[in-house]
Amino acid sequence: MTIAGAITILTYALAPFMWLLIIVVIVVTGLHLLAYLRGYQITRYRHRRTTLLALIIGLTAIIWVPWLTHSSLGYVATLFDWVALLGAAAATFLVALLILQPLSYLISFHNDQ
Amino acid sequence: MQKTPLLTRRELLKVGSSLGIGSLLPLSALSANTLQTQARIVILGGGAAGMAMANRLAKRLQGGTITLVEPRETHHYQPGWTLVASGVWNADKTMRPNAQFMPRGVNWVRKHATGIDADNKRITLTSGEALEYDFLVVATGIQLNYHLIEGMTPELVGQHGIGSVYASIEGASRTHQAIQTWLNSGHGKGIFTAAPTPVKCAGAPLKMTFTTLSRLEASGQRDAFKVDYMAPGAGLFSQPWVDEFVKQRFDDQGVNRRHYYRLSAIDPHARQAEFAFVGPESEFTSHHELREAEFRRDNQPSVIADYDFIHVVPPMSAHDFVKQSDLIAQDGPFRGEWLDVDIHTLQHNRYPEVFGIGDVIGAPINKTAASVKAQAPVVEENLLAVMQGKTPPAQHTGYTSCPMITGIGKAMLVEFGYADNFAFMPSFPFIDPTDESWAAWVMKDRMLQPAYYAVLEGQA
Ligand SMILES: Cc1cc2nc3c(=O)[nH]c(=O)nc-3n(C[C@H](O)[C@H](O)[C@H](O)COP(=O)(O)OP(=O)(O)OC[C@H]3O[C@@H](n4cnc5c(N)ncnc54)[C@H](O)[C@@H]3O)c2cc1C
Repeated sequence: MTIAGAITILTYALAPFMWLLIIVVIVVTGLHLLAYLRGYQITRYRHRRTTLLALIIGLTAIIWVPWLTHSSLGYVATLFDWVALLGAAAATFLVALLILQPLSYLISFHNDQ
Repeated sequence: MQKTPLLTRRELLKVGSSLGIGSLLPLSALSANTLQTQARIVILGGGAAGMAMANRLAKRLQGGTITLVEPRETHHYQPGWTLVASGVWNADKTMRPNAQFMPRGVNWVRKHATGIDADNKRITLTSGEALEYDFLVVATGIQLNYHLIEGMTPELVGQHGIGSVYASIEGASRTHQAIQTWLNSGHGKGIFTAAPTPVKCAGAPLKMTFTTLSRLEASGQRDAFKVDYMAPGAGLFSQPWVDEFVKQRFDDQGVNRRHYYRLSAIDPHARQAEFAFVGPESEFTSHHELREAEFRRDNQPSVIADYDFIHVVPPMSAHDFVKQSDLIAQDGPFRGEWLDVDIHTLQHNRYPEVFGIGDVIGAPINKTAASVKAQAPVVEENLLAVMQGKTPPAQHTGYTSCPMITGIGKAMLVEFGYADNFAFMPSFPFIDPTDESWAAWVMKDRMLQPAYYAVLEGQA
């Protein structure tokens, strides 16, 4: 397959979720910008409860990702199924972390004022 | 109602290339060797195969004329119909305007072809006009012969407990409703049939049975429902491993399998179906031996079966106007019913300037969109070679694929070809075609439609 072919397939596959992707990008960028202006540093700031919450959200993906695809966890059977599902859970964890970390920083910053 | 997307895929691609994506392409891909020509090329049918060919040829030919004869304004993604009939997808998801895929520079004739005069290289259209060609690509797909089942018409789908996923997108939606009505009744007998001819997506009648079984099991009242599968031959699927698997699974799921029965008549009001017993020694038992003229036999034993729901799979063939043309097979297993092409080069066996692609061709397997994906580059290469007076160099392997849905939420990615008695040809080393998996289901549910549209655009 050509690169143009791969881009075509990806564009069609992502088209129904474009609105969601755009919202996520806006929210993540907005929060990071806002927090950064108040001294937040992505590499420095750690908040254990936030990380734990992101981890829990990531783990819930194991249930709702199959459901989103009109399937269920019971049909996740092969090694490749599990690799794909855990990959989806890891991605969810990452997105949750990217949203929750600056958010928790902003909340604590606000409370400290 | 069809929604107009904010940005079409083509526009998105344009944005992509202006952002530099185009620069990732090797120069050779951008200037794929084109052929200067004055030839008149006619493509009959703008479904999966015809549209893919129009896009491919538009990219490869300079000069000349490409005419695509396609009467429909809407493109139907037929592989989605099983998901619509199973209640997983909305019908809207399977339809897009044909104009979205039509390449620039191709002359789109929105009419039906009514005749092919291969000796004089002329096509006649519904309007009475004639189109002359130097090279012809036949991609008119399949004709559904509901009329060969006495009492049956496609309009009956959705009424009197009759379903048929093949009828149309409306038919697929009405099939879903008919199954739902049967489920709501809380009991009764469902009969799933298969056709005694080659059919498009030979897995679809099996998929409909499996998804209905899923719904029956989910209702918690599986024991209140009886499910029969009536097959006209000994086999249920052409790939031997899958055939055995499906038979075993049907037995495990309480499906009453009956072989050598062909649906011959239906009485919708009485909810009764007549099945002709064609017997193991009958020529009907081979998927490729049935011809319309031989369909009805006197004194053929038959049984009458009551049903609450029936899934009808009509006999299929090339369209009548193709059957009446010189291009139809004149001997061999496909005689009188399918286009006479070499199954490897896809060039017509008697008219070298004619190629066939898609469901219309006479081939032992291959009536899938997945086959079209494999056939399109072969037809492109071979047609261009013939236009330059060379022998066709490319060979089709018979690649076909059927994501065999074995329940709502799981599937097997079955891919195979002509060689070694339809041996598996897996595309992904990490997906075993004999495994039921969620990943194969996700491919069917999410990835195959994007891949199909890429095929239409000549990109895959
Ligand atoms: C229920 C169902 C499930 C399927 N599932 C799968 C699947 O899971 N995977 C898979 O790979 N494939 C599947 N398929 C098969 C796939 O859709 C077909 O194999 C594919 O569409 C074949 O392409 P084609 O161009 O040969 O025919 P089509 O796509 O049917 O196109 C034929 C075109 O010819 C046009 N035409 C007809 N008569 C004339 C005329 N007289 N003049 C001009 N034009 C004419 C029609 O309007 C149509 O647009 C399924 C099909 C069905 C019905």
